[in-house]
Amino acid sequence: MIKQNNTIENLFTSTPDIDGYDFYFGPTHPGSGNFGVKLKLHGERIESAKADPGYLHRGFEKLMEYRIPIQNSMLSDRLCVLEPLGWNLVHAEAVDELMGNDVPERAKYIRVIMAELSRIQSHIIWYGVFSIATGFDTGFKIAFGYRDYVLDLFEMITGGRVYPAGYICPGGVRRDLPEGTEEKILKVLDKINEMIDFEEKGNPVLEARTKGIGILKLEDAIRLGATGPVLRASGMRSDVRIEEPYEVYDRFDFDIPVRLEGDAYARYYLGIDEMIESIKIIKQALKQLPGGDYITPSLKKIKLAKKLPEGEVYVRNEVARGEAAIYMVSNGTEKPYRTKVRGPDFLHMIPVLEFLLKGAHIADIPAIYWSLNVCPADMDR
Amino acid sequence: METIENKILEKIKSTFRVDGVVQRERRIWITIESERLVKICQWLKSEGFVHLSAISVTDWPEEDCYEITYHLWSYNEKILLTVKTKIDRDNPLIDSVVPIWSNNAQIHERELHELFGVKFHGNPDLSQLFLEDWEGPPPFRKDFDWREYLQKEVFDPKNLREQGYYDKTK
Repeated sequence: MIKQNNTIENLFTSTPDIDGYDFYFGPTHPGSGNFGVKLKLHGERIESAKADPGYLHRGFEKLMEYRIPIQNSMLSDRLCVLEPLGWNLVHAEAVDELMGNDVPERAKYIRVIMAELSRIQSHIIWYGVFSIATGFDTGFKIAFGYRDYVLDLFEMITGGRVYPAGYICPGGVRRDLPEGTEEKILKVLDKINEMIDFEEKGNPVLEARTKGIGILKLEDAIRLGATGPVLRASGMRSDVRIEEPYEVYDRFDFDIPVRLEGDAYARYYLGIDEMIESIKIIKQALKQLPGGDYITPSLKKIKLAKKLPEGEVYVRNEVARGEAAIYMVSNGTEKPYRTKVRGPDFLHMIPVLEFLLKGAHIADIPAIYWSLNVCPADMDR
Repeated sequence: METIENKILEKIKSTFRVDGVVQRERRIWITIESERLVKICQWLKSEGFVHLSAISVTDWPEEDCYEITYHLWSYNEKILLTVKTKIDRDNPLIDSVVPIWSNNAQIHERELHELFGVKFHGNPDLSQLFLEDWEGPPPFRKDFDWREYLQKEVFDPKNLREQGYYDKTK
């Protein structure tokens, strides 16, 4: 109902006669990436948020029941678009543990190097999309420029720029590092250092829009199941690489960055610190890199699928976004009987995001959303 | 051998009569009856297993049961404990663990309700998550054949493009 006494004075003094309205964030790809949030707003405040996932659901867990592990290792690329090698590693480890594969030392080191390079390029993307979401376009362009150096390395080593086609496969890795890789990796790491210097200079726009925004307290973070950078930015020193060292992570000297503020700025800044630690790990791994086989000799030439021994395993890894896990059950056939994929963003994008958006200001949505380092692919699966 | 895993398993066994095994370093698997689930989980959380890593369902049509697994992580002891329990496949009903792990458990249970049709008694919201407007049977059940379903419900054998999905020899 329009009020009759809409005089000029009343327009500025009276509150509008509405109870709020619905607002859709997403699911257009450049904005939020195959994911939507249905918001109820009152004025510019968010009263409630409801995640609307499912635009990228491909049913990987079901698809994996129809395929043998070597095919699944290619499927596992697609679990997360932004860091396929990290997910390759989780799947390969699950199959290795189930089959009892003895992975050669050299393969373990190559796996760690690839996983850390993957973490670095994922954090660079994070910085890029976070900058563009908060109105700092230059950061986006610079980040994607530097990411290409890492993609060049991936192309040289795995053959694919973004998707490595199951490079980290059960038993080891698909092929050895080509000649001259070590020098090239070191050169790329120098370039990444340039990128980190640029990020560390800071930016007043970015800081103004993220400091004190989207605060996640530690008890809420644990209650909502947050892991990885989101949990560490709230003050918890928790990292699967330290708590439960897989591959050869226990042989390296590196730190787990932690921040106490729990706001969007802390999460974003944690990404920079983690890149520095990843560079440390890669440098140590290159120094220690032993010779020998890159894959278990019995799996080098796979003509026929091997039977998976009966049993079940639960394998946890730390990917760039947090705790990644695969629960694999086998009943003695060539194909896994059941594969459950636990993606970190399943919890970051539904309970944590809904919790943080409630009560927030409409202009802070992109800052909160991208500060969680989201990837709809590993949430929908 | 007296390891921390064995100690924890002994403690669980002495509190509740359960079957359990230490699989390897940092991995404990216990099997319980579904009626005691909430009580045991409550106790486990108070013992430090505060992080619910995942909930999963495995479908065993031959044994006519669903196996539900709860993967719990303890930040203090650095141990992953899996609680396994079996429920009837025709009437898949189990108590929800939302009172213990709150929204974290809620979203896992909502997903499993959609994909397997398991009813979690006490979960406030079991609406559809990924599969909006899906009317077929729960798709992750072993007896759900997606090829057959698509041919019957979605594709048209007269459609020139979709003909290829049908086996012409039949």
